Amino acid sequence: MNEYVIETKQLTKVYSEQTAVNAVSLHIKKGQIFGLIGRNGAGKTTIMKMILGLTPVTSGQVNIFGSNIIGQEKKVFPRIGAIIETPGFYPNLTGTENLEIFALLRGTAAPHAVEDALKIVGLPYKDKKLFCKYSLGMKQRLGIANAVLHDPEILILDEPTNGLDPIGIAEVRDLLKKLSAQRGKTILISSHILSEISLLADDIGIIDHGILLEESSMSELKKKNRRYIQLQVSDIPKASLILERQFSIRDYCVKDDHTLQLFDTSADIGQINKTLISQDVTVSSSQLCNDTLEEYFKKITGGEGIA
Amino acid sequence: MIIFLFIALLLALIVIIFLLSVLHSVHKKLALIKDALGDIKTGNLNRRILADTNDMTKQICFDINEIATNSQSRLIHQKKSEQAYKRLMTSLSHDVKTPLASLVGYLEAVENKIVTGEEKDEYISVAYDKANHLKHFVEYLFEWVKLDSGEQIFHFELFDLNELSRSIIADWIPVLENNHFEYEFEIPETEYLIRIDTNAYTRVLNNLFSNIITHSDGSKMSLRISENSQRAEIIVSDNGKGISDDDLPHIFERMYQCDHSRSARGNGLGLEIAKKLISVHKGTITARSTPGVETVFTIILPASL
Repeated sequence: MNEYVIETKQLTKVYSEQTAVNAVSLHIKKGQIFGLIGRNGAGKTTIMKMILGLTPVTSGQVNIFGSNIIGQEKKVFPRIGAIIETPGFYPNLTGTENLEIFALLRGTAAPHAVEDALKIVGLPYKDKKLFCKYSLGMKQRLGIANAVLHDPEILILDEPTNGLDPIGIAEVRDLLKKLSAQRGKTILISSHILSEISLLADDIGIIDHGILLEESSMSELKKKNRRYIQLQVSDIPKASLILERQFSIRDYCVKDDHTLQLFDTSADIGQINKTLISQDVTVSSSQLCNDTLEEYFKKITGGEGIA
Repeated sequence: MIIFLFIALLLALIVIIFLLSVLHSVHKKLALIKDALGDIKTGNLNRRILADTNDMTKQICFDINEIATNSQSRLIHQKKSEQAYKRLMTSLSHDVKTPLASLVGYLEAVENKIVTGEEKDEYISVAYDKANHLKHFVEYLFEWVKLDSGEQIFHFELFDLNELSRSIIADWIPVLENNHFEYEFEIPETEYLIRIDTNAYTRVLNNLFSNIITHSDGSKMSLRISENSQRAEIIVSDNGKGISDDDLPHIFERMYQCDHSRSARGNGLGLEIAKKLISVHKGTITARSTPGVETVFTIILPASL
């Protein structure tokens, strides 16, 4: 199924003088993790808020489950779980009590919903600890538990790893991967950390100054992040023998019947070509691919890069 | 009299209004359920119906949700084995093609008499090594696929972890000596019974040891085991070239290697297999490394499984 679960069309938000979001068209596929990446203030949160109807749309439209959300809010929003900025919990209640309140407000999809949600994020059920005594990491996790409490189809998470330590970040990442892989959730997540998103997302949207600079799949982007020398040759076994014996190159890979990739980009392409040809191996093309993802981002954001 | 009649009428009216409102809310709820069922029927197994605590239809909603959840997890499981198969195919085409091509290259040179005498013997010995690596790789690959698709069957039995570890090490000592490795073992003399699949555990240690010998470029390795009533900790370390911070988070992920260069000898499956096997024991395996100083793999197995 290639339908878009969330689709924004020319979504725009203008705050008096300032255009916070400028004609953004996102396409979020079912069961995928979509990473929205951009620096602080790029417009990520505003986009999420408009999708969730938390702030009015200046122009453009948001489609969720294939139809415009205007007038459908009551049907659509119960099928979404979200964290926008800091989740609002009662400080003088425990985590369990807080979730029980939300369960009462929203309804639940299964018995023991609160217990299950806490289990998913690894927090204790019926713990006596008050929310105000929680660490930042625990608060974030409770936020995620609240977002998955009613077993929604879509999760919209605004910087869920903000303020977590590296171990906490890795835990949240594993958790989201699990929710996507094992439960088929569609996840829209924002972050300003490129390395974070690149480990998690299937698709990625790059936002800068309210403009969507690029929307593409992560695997497509990763192809741009490879450093290798690619050779098209007539005889692969012979070529690999020459590489090994005469150039001591072991770090290579046979891509198909005529293509070789060498991963040591410092190898002397000229000399290799010459040697191959002198021994009756025809080289029809040789090229150096030497791009990194960081450099690519710098290029598309106009030199400033992404944190 | 009139007053009684009026009160009765009023009561009847109130009851009617109440029943109508119940009917209305049930009606609304049914429309919601119908809508959701239609969605589920067309394949959206993620759809859930939310119910309030006092909802008459609560049990029905929960049951529908459970059915959807169950068929979804079956579907996801099925997709997973499809993906495992796809990955097997990718792996075959990437990791078998390369060594096979160079193997053919060497043999062709011999066959066409391009090399003779001592050089020929050397070529044959290189080709033999390559063929052996290929054989090991294919064995690893099948083991990995079996684990990945959940087809591996485990036999958990009560064993003395210390004794088992000692017997695994015994087989490795000559190999370590041949490869000029200094070694150090610290295993408690006491008995430590644990429910374990001995084949799996042996496999894990073998994978770690053979990684150290083939990849670490080190000269020293050690195995330390310590235990308490909750868990056993098995620490394998070496003093080799180590693993960079960039690579460290990914060493247990097979697919990670596909994007990277790799040496002809490595196959990257050993650690992922180790991780899968340890997680079957509800344990964890982690790694830390200071390149050039030491690399430490820590396995934690819970005492009660």
